[in-house]
Amino acid sequence: MNELLPAFDFHHVVVAPWTDYLPATGAWMLMGFFVTATCGLVGNYLMLRRMALMGDAVSHSVLPGLVIAFLITGTRGTWAMFLGALLAGVATTVIVETIHRKTRVKQDASIGVTFTTLFAIGVVLVSVYSSQVDLDAECVLYGEIGNIAALDEGGIPAPLVRMGSVLIGVVLLITIFYKQLLVSSFDPGLARSLGVNTTATHYGTMIVLSIVAVSAFEAVGAILVVAMLILPGATSGLLTTRLARMHGLSVVHAALSTVLGVHLALALGSQIAPAIVVAGAGLFGLAWVFSPTQGLWLRWRKPAKPGTAPAEAS
Amino acid sequence: MVSKKQLRFIFGWLALLIAPVALHAAQVSDVVETDLVEQLARFFSMRDPSLRFALIGSILLGISCGLLGGFIVVRKMALMGDALSHAVLPGVAGGFLWNMEKDPVAILVGATIAGLLGSAMVSALTRTTRIKEDAALGLVLASFFAAGLCLQTMIIQNLPSGTQSGLDKFMFGQAAALGWDDVALMSAVTLLAVVMVALFYKELLVTSFDEGFARASGLPVRWVHHGLMLLLAMSVVIALKAVGVVLVSAMLITPAAAAYLLTDRLHRLLTLAVVFGVLAASVGAFFSFVGKNLPTGPLMVLGASTVFLGAFLFGPRYGVLSKWWARRSRSGRTQRENTLKAIYHVWENEGAALEGVSLKALAEKRRATLEEIGREVNSLERHGLATVNGPMVYFTPAGRQRSAEIVRNHRLWELYLTNSANIAPDHVHDDAENIEHVLGEDVVRELERRLGYATHDPHGKAIPSVQDVHQNAGLTGEAGKRGGA
Amino acid sequence: MTKTPDRPQVPSLEIHDLTVAYHQKPVLWGIDISITSGRLVGIVGPNGAGKSTLIKACMGLLPLSSGWVKFFGEPFSRAATRIGYVPQRESVDWDFPVNVMDVVLMGRYGRLGLLRRPGKADREIARQCLEKVQMLPYANRQISNLSGGQQQRVFLARALAQEADLYFMDEPFAGVDAATEAAIVAVLRELRDQGKTILVVHHDLPTARQYFDDLVLLNMRLVAYGKTEDVFTAELLQKTYGGRLTILSEVASALGTAR
Repeated sequence: MNELLPAFDFHHVVVAPWTDYLPATGAWMLMGFFVTATCGLVGNYLMLRRMALMGDAVSHSVLPGLVIAFLITGTRGTWAMFLGALLAGVATTVIVETIHRKTRVKQDASIGVTFTTLFAIGVVLVSVYSSQVDLDAECVLYGEIGNIAALDEGGIPAPLVRMGSVLIGVVLLITIFYKQLLVSSFDPGLARSLGVNTTATHYGTMIVLSIVAVSAFEAVGAILVVAMLILPGATSGLLTTRLARMHGLSVVHAALSTVLGVHLALALGSQIAPAIVVAGAGLFGLAWVFSPTQGLWLRWRKPAKPGTAPAEAS
Repeated sequence: MVSKKQLRFIFGWLALLIAPVALHAAQVSDVVETDLVEQLARFFSMRDPSLRFALIGSILLGISCGLLGGFIVVRKMALMGDALSHAVLPGVAGGFLWNMEKDPVAILVGATIAGLLGSAMVSALTRTTRIKEDAALGLVLASFFAAGLCLQTMIIQNLPSGTQSGLDKFMFGQAAALGWDDVALMSAVTLLAVVMVALFYKELLVTSFDEGFARASGLPVRWVHHGLMLLLAMSVVIALKAVGVVLVSAMLITPAAAAYLLTDRLHRLLTLAVVFGVLAASVGAFFSFVGKNLPTGPLMVLGASTVFLGAFLFGPRYGVLSKWWARRSRSGRTQRENTLKAIYHVWENEGAALEGVSLKALAEKRRATLEEIGREVNSLERHGLATVNGPMVYFTPAGRQRSAEIVRNHRLWELYLTNSANIAPDHVHDDAENIEHVLGEDVVRELERRLGYATHDPHGKAIPSVQDVHQNAGLTGEAGKRGGA
Repeated sequence: MTKTPDRPQVPSLEIHDLTVAYHQKPVLWGIDISITSGRLVGIVGPNGAGKSTLIKACMGLLPLSSGWVKFFGEPFSRAATRIGYVPQRESVDWDFPVNVMDVVLMGRYGRLGLLRRPGKADREIARQCLEKVQMLPYANRQISNLSGGQQQRVFLARALAQEADLYFMDEPFAGVDAATEAAIVAVLRELRDQGKTILVVHHDLPTARQYFDDLVLLNMRLVAYGKTEDVFTAELLQKTYGGRLTILSEVASALGTAR
């Protein structure tokens, strides 16, 4: 076991990321923050709409979308990749709903069947065309956040620009459509009666989800995206019940888990993306235990037994 | 009971299963440049011990995953399988760390513990917070997976032996890497799963269908749930090396979901799920072997997906295409029956004097062109219900019987609606028009009894009697005489 | 407040100081009831009054914050085979791959214990129970092909197959046709006459008055328990449905026509 854990080097883990390594760690942290914050903001709505596992499904099906787009266009251009992933994401939603509606297979099983199939197609295509596709199984799993160029080498790296603009786009969309999203997530029936197009909102959310999933794919891979979609929203959901505050808290969660995650990765000598998720899960654990309203500590205290009847019932 | 029809369907799409995969295989061989024929010969002769292990292992994992997957699909816990399969990853790494080698038993124990921890976490989260189950599943899945990845990359980067540990094979699976000890472990777990399911089938059935009732009956619902989770975790773990962490949930969900589309009884569902699981797993192992560099897991999953697609399209009862076909043939039958009825009406109007009915009179009755009538009558002829001779059309005995039946159904129903439901006689026709095609023999008898064996409908037309329907007479039957009288 | 008639024998059901809470919010507070055998008891109260919670808590399906429940003088775990249960129809997935016979046989599982399988005798009992609710011709039907009333009859047959002494029924009349409702009431009365105790969660006040011997009026707390003619009064109903004027006026008119 000893050879596995590198000796804890205070300078290397705590100080250097902010001094000597800053060009590199700064780029990682910015990228990590962009990805986690974007996912977290979108994830809030997935949680509210009970579609958390559609996030899982869409993030997996991005892979075949990317590979097929690459095989057709022959380039790794941003737009081709975006389009491919977008189509794959929408196709996933449509297939899941078709299976669910046309047969008696329930939604959970239809999600399970759909995304594993699409993902399997993606993996097989990657393996068959491994010589041509600049993708491998590794990056599907871990992402390549560590391969992003440092900040001081020739301006701002392209992935950072892309992810940053997606973040800005998501923030803008949420600001513009806040009311519609809120009411249609809370009560679709009410939303329809108020004249909100819930179908458009649904597919809009799925499209944004696909865009987020494809842009995050490069940095964190297909599977860890799920954690980044759910963890910030789940953590802030433990701390507040107001949607606006949930947004703020999920961004805070994103920032904290990214910074902690980069340090953790340096300390353990592991990949950065999973370390960010582990840090985020740790923060979630803290919120779970210490939440002022739903925390476990409330349960560990002896629950106060209601002694007298409430006045209005007697 | 699996009917012959069902069997036909199963074999039908088996053929379908082979076709696309075979096409793909051709492509595969181009890419990896192996001699396909030679590989095939090696596969079917089973000379390779690694191949034998791979195939046995695939069959075993197909059995255990199909069997337990059946339960998680009907319990609506399909994604629990997914969460569990990702949650075992830190346990795999932990089991490796135990004694720094790939000891299958240590890995099984570690991974099972991690999986159970994950499933316990999901239920703790849903019980103690407002987080819904789907979010809890996703959260546990990805967090455990990330922890596993951290451990794994640590092992690979910090240990010189790490890269050779083959831990990365656990991601997408390589059936060819299965060894004797793996297969022994797989047999033990599969045997355990089969025995436990056989012993506790009754408890598993009732807790899956109606948990509240099961607990009220004093059955140990919690223990059944934990036991199922334990078996599930263990069968996920034994499947890992062959299928891989990422896709093992598909081997649980997809064969069972396909079986769910084909049968209405749980024990048949489980049997079919096992058959499909074995099929998919062996097909996956086969193509992964033929295609050398291909990971086994995704190929197995594609095999299972093909089976699902087949059930989705061609399942006799719930298949989309089958339903479409049934609707289509029903509408075809309705049309033929309407033509038969029209012939009967014309024949009845003409005093039932003639042996046949002229196509022209029929066309007027149906308000159709002669051409359209010709097509309709030809369709009758193809189904053995009528014969055409020049400008005249004649019933066959079968057609005569069916037409009398339809007219009888129609008129009885009209009479019933008028008498018993107090609907005005001029409002009952459209309803009878739909119902006449679907009334069964017993319902008709009951109607007749209730109506006191009436002979005439609300419009004053004669209702063909049972004798008319069953005596298979020619055109000058009993009803004709009575109708003319 | 609680009107419990004095009876010497061990009560079929004794609830003492029962409190149930969801997420720290109490749903039921300090309920005390004691029910003797041979009674057909209706549990009524407004939506969210804790009617279903009460019977689920009795059977240990929900954790109790305080209090205890005894059946025939014993805790639930020892008396489980003497208790029958009809859950709400919506609580199960009617697409589940089982047929009517399978469902009714589940009523026997509690008696069989672990490892034993239902045998010929159990099938015969199940068949008789199906006959009693006029569902025998449907024994081999898949359950998704049943109407709402038929599904409820199957659930009732399953409970009959439990051969219990005390039955809990959660809204057995919800969404069923008039014929099924009448058939269920007939079966319940027959059970009552055999000396069994039946507790029925019910939401329709006018029929509650006709169907039940005793009523439990519930709204988070026990408002009243006693013979129907004693507790079905405007005053107690107002306490139970306090503030809900629409329901009250409806009931008032029902009372007006009935008395």
